Amino acid sequence: MTKLSLKVNGEAVQAEIEDRTTLGDFLREGLNLTGTHLGCEHGVCGACTVLVDEEPVRACITLAASVAGREVRTIEGFAEDPAMAVIRECFSEAHGLQCGFCTPGMAITVSDLLKRGKCADAAQIRTELSGNLCRCTGYQGIVEAVELAREKLNA
Amino acid sequence: MKAAKLTYHKATSIEHALELVGRYDGAGKLMAGGQSLVPMMNLRMTAAEHLIDISGLSALRESAWKDEAFFLGSGVTHSMIEDGKVEDPARGYLRHVAAGIAYRSVRNRGTVGGSLAHADPAADWPAALLALDAAIVIQGPKGERRMPLAQFQRGLMETALGEGELLKGVLVPRLSEKARWAYLKFTRKVGEFAHSIAAVVVDPAAGISNVVLGAVGGKPLRLNGVSTSLSPREIESDLKAADLDGSSYECQVHKTMITRALAKALQ
Amino acid sequence: MHKEGKGVGASLRRKEDWRHLRGLGQFVPDMKVPGMLEVAFVRSSVAHGLVKAIDIPGEHRARVFTARDFPQAKPIVAVAKIEGFKYSEHPALATERVRFAGEPVCLCTGSSRAEAEDVAESVSLEIEELPAVVDMLDAVKPGAPLIREEWGDNVYVSRTNTYGDIEAAKKAAAVTVTREYRMNRQSAVPLEGRAILAVWNERLEELTLHVGSQSPHQLRVGLAQALGIPETKLRLVVPDMGGGFGSKRVLYPEEMMVAALALKLRRPVRWIEDKREHLLAAIHAREHHHKVTAYADARGRILGLDVEIYVDAGAYSHWPNGPFMETGMASRNIPGPYAIANYRCKSLTVATNKSPIGAYRGVARPAACFTIERTLDEVAHAVGREPWQVRVENMVPASAMPYKNVTNLKFDTGDYAESVRRAVELIRLADIRKRQKQGEPDGRLIGVGFASFTEQTAHGCGEWVSRGVPVIPGYETCTARMMTDGSLMLMVGIVSHGQGMETTLAQIAHEELGVDPMQVSVRHGDTQVSPFGMGTFASRSIVMAGGAVARACRSLKSKVRKIAAHTLACSEEEIQVKNGEVRGPKASLSFAEIGRIAHLRQEALPKGTEPLLEVTATYEPAVDTGVFTYATQAAVVAVDPETGKVEILDYACVEDCGTVVNPLVVDGQIVGGIAQGIGNALYEEIPYSESGQPLATTLADYLLPGAPEIPHIKLAHLCTPTPHTEYGMKGMGEGGAISPPAAIANAIRDALMKIGAEVNETPMTPRRVRAAIEVALSKKSQLVEA
Repeated sequence: MTKLSLKVNGEAVQAEIEDRTTLGDFLREGLNLTGTHLGCEHGVCGACTVLVDEEPVRACITLAASVAGREVRTIEGFAEDPAMAVIRECFSEAHGLQCGFCTPGMAITVSDLLKRGKCADAAQIRTELSGNLCRCTGYQGIVEAVELAREKLNA
Repeated sequence: MKAAKLTYHKATSIEHALELVGRYDGAGKLMAGGQSLVPMMNLRMTAAEHLIDISGLSALRESAWKDEAFFLGSGVTHSMIEDGKVEDPARGYLRHVAAGIAYRSVRNRGTVGGSLAHADPAADWPAALLALDAAIVIQGPKGERRMPLAQFQRGLMETALGEGELLKGVLVPRLSEKARWAYLKFTRKVGEFAHSIAAVVVDPAAGISNVVLGAVGGKPLRLNGVSTSLSPREIESDLKAADLDGSSYECQVHKTMITRALAKALQ
Repeated sequence: MHKEGKGVGASLRRKEDWRHLRGLGQFVPDMKVPGMLEVAFVRSSVAHGLVKAIDIPGEHRARVFTARDFPQAKPIVAVAKIEGFKYSEHPALATERVRFAGEPVCLCTGSSRAEAEDVAESVSLEIEELPAVVDMLDAVKPGAPLIREEWGDNVYVSRTNTYGDIEAAKKAAAVTVTREYRMNRQSAVPLEGRAILAVWNERLEELTLHVGSQSPHQLRVGLAQALGIPETKLRLVVPDMGGGFGSKRVLYPEEMMVAALALKLRRPVRWIEDKREHLLAAIHAREHHHKVTAYADARGRILGLDVEIYVDAGAYSHWPNGPFMETGMASRNIPGPYAIANYRCKSLTVATNKSPIGAYRGVARPAACFTIERTLDEVAHAVGREPWQVRVENMVPASAMPYKNVTNLKFDTGDYAESVRRAVELIRLADIRKRQKQGEPDGRLIGVGFASFTEQTAHGCGEWVSRGVPVIPGYETCTARMMTDGSLMLMVGIVSHGQGMETTLAQIAHEELGVDPMQVSVRHGDTQVSPFGMGTFASRSIVMAGGAVARACRSLKSKVRKIAAHTLACSEEEIQVKNGEVRGPKASLSFAEIGRIAHLRQEALPKGTEPLLEVTATYEPAVDTGVFTYATQAAVVAVDPETGKVEILDYACVEDCGTVVNPLVVDGQIVGGIAQGIGNALYEEIPYSESGQPLATTLADYLLPGAPEIPHIKLAHLCTPTPHTEYGMKGMGEGGAISPPAAIANAIRDALMKIGAEVNETPMTPRRVRAAIEVALSKKSQLVEA
């Protein structure tokens, strides 16, 4: 077992975990932050994307112990985030989600790519989204949502 | 899909990491970004009794000019290079390679050193840096040693790293203004491991003239130098030397990638 | 297509979005119960063998369960009412024999999934390997190893249907085209895998299963039978579900055993499938091999089709629909939207040592469409005409509607040829032809391809009976309940897991009652809340459940009018229900007032009127032969002749699904379906080794298309409402996925026309495309030498 202290969604968290626990399992099972979804558990689908020190990482292939002392932000930590509020509106407007399983990871990836300005055109947006799989939408609504959000956030 | 039991050790310094590696001789495994290792552990394709995490070591992210070569710390992440947070002595080549590795969230944790030490034949850095004539800096209990990257990777996921050693960084030569390079990957979809990698770097000033083929056999393959007239037949004979069946689809793709990379670099 | 307002035709934003965008959706893996055990399975690592011993380490004996621990559990059996059908007995945990790699043998528990996996890893199976049957064409050869000796062969069912006079067509033909096509095995891969949490409730003596299922009511039937308990003791609740696409509609051994263990231990038990398990042991799909000969006249009009269909159905037949629907639907749909008079079709549903197959979005029709559309293009090439023109000329004309086709499908409405003409415009065919003449600067070859199809949806009783299925999902249900405060609750038997039915069914309630859709509570997926219903599959839910909602709301409305007329002292005819208000000639009432009277103030009810505002309605369309959505899709591809890699440059779809309830949702379904079809066409495959080992068991090997692999899809709509359903709706959930393999294969063929290469096997990987090019080039060089 390992003692772990870190910040999650702005709050200090201390826990004792099995050493092998991934960040994804720790957030979901340990902290009940179930908005972080586990799709493939081997780093391909991106459903588990969360921020560590404001950078997106895959919670399923990141050990919880290795982010000790750092700041983790999950989809639940975006409740008051103004840019995410715009992104949510645009996802709904452009029908950028269906079953909702990829959505939290997708939304976090989108917030990051918008922040980095990697949204010049649809082709760049699609490349930036390549690490987040969606089985429902065919991505069209998601790409439109990103374009909409880009316009709204730049306005 | 959960990893088998392991004991986690967070290294607090390079010395601490070496001490741990020495202590768990044989049963310890170093983890940098973990972006290849943890998926394999989750799939229980590999196990680490003692996992020594070096991802938190800022000392391994230090980079600086050392004489005529640029020292890139092994803990530098792909996205640090992609974003230009680390100097690119190879005139955009490293940034280009970094930006094409897997996906952004993987690039945020994956490191240059981790990629080299994991030594997956389809990974980017082993092929890309081989084409640059990079050298490896290894830290052991008794100090540092250096070797050309060409000698470092020995085969499929096998390197010259000895027991009790860790990869400290890589020395990248400075490319001159006249340098030309091309780096092409063949993938079926964006972000997946490549089925073929062709890296071409030519810089007369630095004395570099390399064609490297990646995602082939156990380790990247250096072909017989760059030439504007490298004919399909010459490429074929190079590939044959690497035990590639000339009539195979793989060979066809490799030939195509090499030809295109050469054309791109020399255009 | 979009209409103003909030009712049928409005592009209303979805009610479901709010929770999902905040990470507040609730999926089975999000649910935890104190004392819960987690499960991992020990699975057979060999394709075919006899279980000689199961070695369980002493310290784990209490945490490992085998078939012996569940003497009451019955094998899963699905029997088709089809002459000559051989059924399989499928023990949920293997007993003496294993028949595919991945088949569950032991169930192991732990306090966490990791711990359960530790236990599973400690168990070793001693299995004596038997020769495996891996390829369906080999499986039917004499002397092939048998999966079940008692069958005498490896064929679930074999059927031959003859329509018209194929010999006459052969004699009259100016052109004959013969081809073989193969659609390889793939998987549905919803982003969330299967999941079940079984909780025993002592007070109610009821086992509650929180489970990802598209058909919870049907699943309860099958589970109760297999577990040997009354249905009153089983409650199934489907919370949010991360996609299904057909893969969550069968009675799975794993789910059954988790339920059985919770019953046995009286403890909560949870199993969350991981992706490797999904790729190994959730239903697989497709795997068709078709042999076709087409006879046509000199203009390319098809006179007759002679077809042999093989489907590799895997080792067992899943409940309820088993593997037999696949061949049946393929054989009926191969004639496509065309007026073909003569047709002979032989089909074999073959057993192999692979994971069982089942319904996946499109069911058999992607393969059927591939066969007819590729063949039609070859006929066009043989007579030297543009394939789209030959397509149009062969189609059932709008003037012939309604039309009974050669396999007795009753096409209801539509202008099939118009969808082709519109697709030709949308994809800018003339521009592509020009561009082809100029050539590409990068040396790639570009081509354009079309594929048309019909999609039978919302079929009723008779159609399902004719298919021989053991459960007849010919209807759907809704209970509409107006509460004492006038708010409305709709309880339906379907499940919504991405289709947006919480929104679209509320739109239908708005259409009928004028209530605000945002205020309507749609409840689905809970067997103890909704009336019995069949679930979500076969592109049926909006027509079926939507129809039931419309009917229930109308009945409710007539009772509301009756109460209102009594209260307002006027006639029922004078009462109008509009915008959530009940208006009489002089005064009006709110739903809240009506709700209060109906429940709380019985004395104010008209004499003889029973209290409550609650109606349960069932619905089946006016015809039970289905209503047919149709579409033409067009693809432009660039083929790299050196590597065989295909890029989709442009993609268009022109479709007609009758009246649209929510255009946003419909477009989303079409594009999502096309993306899956592109996966089928270019990326997704589970190959097997010669010994029956599946070779794609992670998402590193099983390639799902990402955003860069899917182009922007251009959509256009025709709208021909059907007279047979409420509002003229037709189903459309699967259609998008049906024709991409065919359209893309035709585009590749067009691109490689000069080389003379064609690719007739999916997925059309770079390796297969390059191989086809090499074959064509070597044929050409042989010709030159000769």
